[in-house]
Amino acid sequence: MGVTWKNSGILILGLILAIFWIAAGQADDIGSLPMPRDKLYVEECGACHTAYAPGFLPARSWVRMMGELERHFGEDASLDEPQSLAIQRYLTDLAADSQNGTPFMRRLAASVPARAAPQRITETWFFAYMHDEVPASFWTRKKIGTKANCIACHPRANAGSYAEREVSIPPP
Amino acid sequence: MRNWIERSSVLLAALMALPALADTPAQILDNLTREARSQQASFSPSAGRGEQFYQAKQTGGGEAESCAACHTRDAKAAGQHVRTHKNIEPLAPVANRERFSDPAKVEKWFRRNCKEVLGRTCTPQEKADFAAYVISIR
Ligand code: HEC
Ligand code: HEC
Ligand code: HEC
Repeated sequence: MGVTWKNSGILILGLILAIFWIAAGQADDIGSLPMPRDKLYVEECGACHTAYAPGFLPARSWVRMMGELERHFGEDASLDEPQSLAIQRYLTDLAADSQNGTPFMRRLAASVPARAAPQRITETWFFAYMHDEVPASFWTRKKIGTKANCIACHPRANAGSYAEREVSIPPP
Repeated sequence: MRNWIERSSVLLAALMALPALADTPAQILDNLTREARSQQASFSPSAGRGEQFYQAKQTGGGEAESCAACHTRDAKAAGQHVRTHKNIEPLAPVANRERFSDPAKVEKWFRRNCKEVLGRTCTPQEKADFAAYVISIR
């Protein structure tokens, strides 16, 4: 079969469809969540722990948390007003129930009771579901210490990436 | 032509101002010392007192009982947050050039960490001693 306009056209169309298919697959990928572009977010909210992807909690959870930063899990995480307003906007723009949600984020949002504003990602349904195969003894390893230390096992967590193939669990 | 010279000199001036935005550890220590002297004219910062303060066990009520609890006893080494277990880059500028280069950042963490460890804010004297110690580490 020689190269004709017709079959190269089919090839190109096929390639375009494949690219769309891969792109759509990525948007659907559980292991990848959007992160704020402003580095302020990782600098401030990633100073004491992983800079959690906003898509793990609904907007109402973040609004409540941002209103109580002086008493943040027993710590003072307070910020200047311009910074805290900016961060609250990034969090709500990319929250689980925002318009920018991936299908995974929407499922996550739907699993949170309407009146609840959970403050811990580690207490949400998805977290238990994703990690049910992780032995309890792992969480207390020195380099891990707590379930909330995502970045210990997901090295690219601060870029919103939790893909299974990137998981690297520190040895005891 | 004139316009061109004017513009390039403005640009040059702007470029020269850039490094000035980041303070050096010595400048930050100077400012902390000045603040301490405004309360106690005879004050001069002491790395020895700073080291004691850095290592000392406190009873502020928080989970971390000393500055060293998170920053480790050796400020040249990476530490670990006692509660979140997150890695913390070394505190000594000799091991981490970003330290003591941004006065607002230094102030913010003195505020948070003193409250955590001591249950109160640090005095200007404590801050200057602490900075003198950490900056003096070679
Ligand atoms: C001064 C340190 C500090 C800063 C700054 C800080 N946090 Fe935290 N955060 C903590 C501590 C301590 C915990 C509790 C950790 C634990 O109990 O395991 C926590 C817990 C959390 C949790 C719950 C984690 C879980 O268990 O699922 C979220 C979500 C969170 N922080 C978001 C933020 C956001 C958003 C910011 C920025 C506005 C921020 N944090 C800034 C110290 C901090
Ligand atoms: C002890 C190490 C460890 C910690 C800490 C940890 N995870 Fe995981 N995580 C894993 C492992 C292992 C998997 C893969 C589980 C599987 O598929 O069987 C996983 C899977 C995931 C996935 C699904 C990825 C995919 O592509 O299917 C997400 C999302 C995730 N984790 C989020 C988090 C978040 C958010 C945190 C912190 C609040 C966290 N993890 C903390 C070990 C960890
Ligand atoms: C609970 C853990 C913890 C304790 C205890 C702690 N720190 Fe920190 N400290 C941090 C974290 C987290 C950062 C910022 C993260 C980073 O920049 O890597 C920080 C940063 C700092 C900085 C900012 C330096 C710079 O220029 O970047 C100073 C100053 C500081 N701490 C002083 C202290 C002093 C003084 C004490 C004791 C009174 C103390 N810390 C105790 C966790 C702690």
